[in-house]
Amino acid sequence: MTGRDIFKITLNLVIIYLIGGFILAFVFATASPKIFRNNEEAEKKALKQLMPDADANDKLGEWSIHDKHAKYFISKKGGDTIGYIIQSFGKGYSSYINTFIAVDKDFTVQKINVLSHAETPGLGDEIEAPSFKDQFKGKTIEHLKVIKGDTKDDIQAISGATISSRAVTEDAVKNGVAFLIKTVKEGGKADVKPEQH
Amino acid sequence: MSSQSNTNLKELFLNGIVKENTIFKLALSLCPSIAVTNNLKNGVFMGLAVLFVQVMVNLTISLMRKFIQPKVRLPIFMLVISGWVTVTQLMMAAFVPDVYGKVGLYIALIVAFASILARAEMFASKNSVIPSIVDGLGMGVGFLFALTVISFFRELVGKGSLWGNVIVNTKPLLILILPAGGFFAVGILMALFNWINTRYAAKGVHASH
Repeated sequence: MTGRDIFKITLNLVIIYLIGGFILAFVFATASPKIFRNNEEAEKKALKQLMPDADANDKLGEWSIHDKHAKYFISKKGGDTIGYIIQSFGKGYSSYINTFIAVDKDFTVQKINVLSHAETPGLGDEIEAPSFKDQFKGKTIEHLKVIKGDTKDDIQAISGATISSRAVTEDAVKNGVAFLIKTVKEGGKADVKPEQH
Repeated sequence: MSSQSNTNLKELFLNGIVKENTIFKLALSLCPSIAVTNNLKNGVFMGLAVLFVQVMVNLTISLMRKFIQPKVRLPIFMLVISGWVTVTQLMMAAFVPDVYGKVGLYIALIVAFASILARAEMFASKNSVIPSIVDGLGMGVGFLFALTVISFFRELVGKGSLWGNVIVNTKPLLILILPAGGFFAVGILMALFNWINTRYAAKGVHASH
């Protein structure tokens, strides 16, 4: 290979990579504001869905779980506090499961929502199904545990997806509620360490 | 002359669907054919994304084929492929966020598809634009067809639903939506595809005699 060849090859690569880079930058510039707005809207909608009665969900602060930043909110109706919403993460089978949990003033779970995850499609993603999520309504922190088989008091595991069920229940939701109780109710410090599984 | 080239293009298109079907005949890109096909919706959107990337990559490579230095063609192919995959990813995240939430994880995998690199290397880098597009369309549609058939079968038998709509309220054969069941499903459908093909070919020979 002569010096001329090396020069030609380098030039060839540089030109093509530059063009590719410019095209990608252009597409990214077009798409990213839209993606950002999509995410923002999704969050607003998610909060509204979790606390249908509230007329305002104000951000209270941030906390971290599994080294991920999460937010928590206070829900008000006509100036009165009616509950709290907290974002939390659970370590699932193949991803961190991003969940939102709504609790009332007494820290009883009202509703949960799974915002994003990458659990096994067809099995783990059943954590998004109403039949799983609806079980959380009315559960206090003591009943946030997963049981294989029929249960009314606790949370019933999804068949074929026990790890994902546990991650949502005993990791994301339980730690989120525990954090709220500790910070909001007892006024403690904001550093709950997630339990190791 | 023009009808001659038309039949060639038709053959080229059908080649990717039947004779060189990526999954059923060449047994390439089996990873996604198992990973994403446990429900119909994911399978179809993955197939569509691959179809788009395949056509755009073939088009781009064919346009640039005289400019590419042969010694560095692979890094350039990879750039073109990953570029189009990123474009697909960003566009899906911007315009169909709910679908992207489901299959986004697997879209990035398209970069590593043997079938797309193979078409760039074997076809698009040696042929002009129109045949390259038709070749991309054929391969892409063939892939979409295979993913649709596999995911239809797996979701229906494994989960008792289609496109997320419950059809029977039990899970008839749960194993089919598990990764191991993916191998079974692909194997069974591959055998069926080839069996039909062989019979069809045999009949064709009989008829011409």
